[in-house]
Amino acid sequence: MTRVRIWLSRLWGVVGSRQSDREIDDEIASHLAEATDDYLRRGLAPEEARRAALRSFGGVPQAREVYREQRSFMWLEEVPRDVRYALRTLRRSPAFTLTAAATLALAIGTNTAMFSVLNAVLLRPLPYRSPDQLAMVWTEDPAQSLREGRSALWDVEQWRGQSRTFADMATFDTVSTVLTGADGVEQIAGASTSPNLLSLLGVRPVLGRSFSAEEAEQAQRLVLISHRFWQARFGGAGEALGATLVVNGEPARIVGVLPADFNVARIDADVWLPHTTHRTVRGGQTWFVIGRLQPGATFAQAQAEMSAVARRLDEQLPAVARNQGIAVIPLSRYIVGPQTRLALWMLGGAVFCVFLIAAANVTSLSLARGTARAREMAVRAALGANAGRIVRQLLTESVLLAAVSGLTGTLLAVWGLRLIRTFGPDNLPRLNEVGLDLRALGWALATSLLAGILVGLAPAMTTLRRDLRPSGEESGRSVSGGTSTRRIRRALVVAEFALAIVLLVGAGLLVRSWWHVTGVDPGFRTARVLVMEVSSPATLTDPARRADLYHRILEQIQAVPGVESAGTIDDLFTGNPREQVLTIEAAEGPVSERLRLARDEVSADFFSTLGTPLLRGRFFSIDDRLEAPRVAIVNDAMARRSWPGRDPLGRRFAFGSRDSGGPWYTVVGVVGDMRRQGLERDALPQIFVSLAQNPPSRNVALLIRTSSEDPLAMAGALRAAVRRVEANAPIYGVAPLDQQLGTYLTQRRFQTSLLAGFSAVALLMAAVGIYGLIQYSIAMRTQEIGLRMAIGARAGDIFRMIIGEGLKLSLAGLALGLVGATWLGRAGSSLLFGVTASDPLTFLAVSLLLTVVATAACYFPARRAMRVDPIRALRAM
Amino acid sequence: MTPDRSDVLYGTLGLMVVKTLEALGPLHGYLIARRIEQISGDQLALNQGTLYPALLKLEQMGWISSKWGTSESGRRVRIYALTRTGRKQLRQEEAQWQRAAGIVERFLKISEGSS
Repeated sequence: MTRVRIWLSRLWGVVGSRQSDREIDDEIASHLAEATDDYLRRGLAPEEARRAALRSFGGVPQAREVYREQRSFMWLEEVPRDVRYALRTLRRSPAFTLTAAATLALAIGTNTAMFSVLNAVLLRPLPYRSPDQLAMVWTEDPAQSLREGRSALWDVEQWRGQSRTFADMATFDTVSTVLTGADGVEQIAGASTSPNLLSLLGVRPVLGRSFSAEEAEQAQRLVLISHRFWQARFGGAGEALGATLVVNGEPARIVGVLPADFNVARIDADVWLPHTTHRTVRGGQTWFVIGRLQPGATFAQAQAEMSAVARRLDEQLPAVARNQGIAVIPLSRYIVGPQTRLALWMLGGAVFCVFLIAAANVTSLSLARGTARAREMAVRAALGANAGRIVRQLLTESVLLAAVSGLTGTLLAVWGLRLIRTFGPDNLPRLNEVGLDLRALGWALATSLLAGILVGLAPAMTTLRRDLRPSGEESGRSVSGGTSTRRIRRALVVAEFALAIVLLVGAGLLVRSWWHVTGVDPGFRTARVLVMEVSSPATLTDPARRADLYHRILEQIQAVPGVESAGTIDDLFTGNPREQVLTIEAAEGPVSERLRLARDEVSADFFSTLGTPLLRGRFFSIDDRLEAPRVAIVNDAMARRSWPGRDPLGRRFAFGSRDSGGPWYTVVGVVGDMRRQGLERDALPQIFVSLAQNPPSRNVALLIRTSSEDPLAMAGALRAAVRRVEANAPIYGVAPLDQQLGTYLTQRRFQTSLLAGFSAVALLMAAVGIYGLIQYSIAMRTQEIGLRMAIGARAGDIFRMIIGEGLKLSLAGLALGLVGATWLGRAGSSLLFGVTASDPLTFLAVSLLLTVVATAACYFPARRAMRVDPIRALRAM
Repeated sequence: MTPDRSDVLYGTLGLMVVKTLEALGPLHGYLIARRIEQISGDQLALNQGTLYPALLKLEQMGWISSKWGTSESGRRVRIYALTRTGRKQLRQEEAQWQRAAGIVERFLKISEGSS
């Protein structure tokens, strides 16, 4: 009660401060006058009476200070004055202010930018209703070590019917889609979805509506378009609704427009077509499945239930689909996989380390400055400032410094984010959502404040510890307060080096991984090869005519000057290929098994175009015609898997199960493994069949080896060659092959270059830190050095002493850092490729680098120390 | 014990102020200070400046009130008076203080006896 009263009254005191200031002055004045009168009455002379009154009153400024402290929340009313004073102080030492502000701004800026990325990719909820209830549901095949397999529509219908934990499930997938417009045909991004997808996600079209289950059932030709497509094709006009698009050769009516940036499981198609979910046949395992949990249900419950459902369904499934499970994976976990999560947290941690190092450096600087300002503080204390008052002043200075840095840093972050959005890895999910939102700004504010407090705290603490009474010694040669300051600064330098080491080791390991990854032989030569994807017209349904079309296109292309050879394949880079049933002829009869493999139709010159080596047997030839016995080429991985220790040449197999009656293929060749899932993943078993003998798919990738170092320059001529054969064939995805392979590395390049950059900054800052400390310590020890020289120390001894001091600190940091790096390296080992987390070469190189840098940083101050003139130094004592 | 100017404890000072005001009625600052020194038989030389923060605190606690008035010599001074709350609190404080002082006194006797 009383306490609240005092508090309120003090709060009031803040408001009425100006008037009360005058009142207490008046009161003290009359007090002194009364006392003087009293002493006069007692017979003192006027002068003496006045002095006696003052003496018995004690210090007037102190009394006023204590009084004001009691009256209100002093710090509140003194903030403006502190700020003004701090501004003046900072302006008076521009070198310190600029260095400190720039260091902190850089640290806060990078931190804020990185946090924005983390925030957008990992922390911000997905743009759906209650996104934490959404899960991807996969068919799982332990035998194939396939955890995230796609599912058949019939299966999904069973799951939906039997599940109690899932409120609903929807299916979707990309579908190859061509759009016929006024100016010909073009390939566009299309997807097919069950009608309930939008309602399941809780997403409403911005215009129009979604499909109904009946419409999907009746296979009505309806289509939803993306916001992007709507803007580009209809200029965002309302007439888009009800308009007709010719999709895959048939008209379809637009019923709705999706919200901007709508995507599901990273699929963001321009047109979405409905498909029915009621199936009497099981259908292919080709669909993505997303489910929404019942309110209150957990992922664990859903997983347990779906596992039970999978066991129940097992008997109803065909033999080849037996023993499959169902995996329930939270959507957020699917969209940002563990690898990306780890990488981002690592980068976030790294940038925070840089921030800590920067703060340590500025702290060290301001500590050095604090010692120099000891005299100023002593004067202020003499004038009635208590310790709290001085600490507040110091903190105001550092917080002000941090605020300026924070502002500059935020501007830096805006600029940095633009860079990241432009140059960041395309395959980093949700990168387009990255921006400075309120949370990121809050983070910038929080780091600025933290920096301000961290930087101000140490000088304030040492000020507190030092006796504030004015004393001659403080300003003179022996600085007693300097020892504790120096101890803190040494500790800071050790910490800086330890953090820098952790970052350097991390960066070193990633750089080594990068070398390994880029040194990996993909199994094909990418130089001078252009990729060009071509679709055959939708009207061309006969597979034989389609194969003929591709052959004619290849002929035309090979006739273009500058083309060395050309080949086709369905798609060179495979995602996660489906598992297939394969029947292999063995001594004891045909054996069926399911395995995950890539099966592709390739043209005769495919391998020679890519430079993939033939290990045994032969390539396809023009004799492998439709009427000829079917032949196949397998890769080394396939040969080792299915015919271990035996010669695969001449062996026979068929696609499908034993009784499906598919044609038999004879293996005629074995080629080297190709890494078609990016450089970091081992080659899958692959079977290549001849384009001439098999119905080719509607889209093929043309691979064209040119004689030009810049194959893209030939794109025009090659496009024209295709058009000469089929004017309406959509051509898309034209890019040099090395560039396509490179996209698999963008995320790794991103994290490697960022971490390398961060660690370079960290090392630089640590070097500056140790340089400043040594420099300062020499300045403080000039007399000591002079004395040592006077009693016989040689310049070399002094040099060694200084260097030794620096090395001691950096080695302590090194030891600490190496321990930390070993520990953290283990946690991040899944980001590495081809090196272990305790790679001795990296650790050795980093240790060496650090020692060299630390020595270099100490070298210049040590040189200066050698030149100390003993006579002059001693005279100053 | 030689009286030290800075040795008056804040809490004790407050009690002395309140007691003085109770005994002598409303007073201005300088008179309060003088009375305290006189009552202590000039054993206690008050650092008079410390009186004002103490007065302010008592006022904030609501034990005393103040208003501007004139001193005997005609100066504009602030005159402090005990409030009803203050009077009540003083009773409690007195009792507490006496209890504490009694305990200390008993201890002092023991140590005198044993030494």
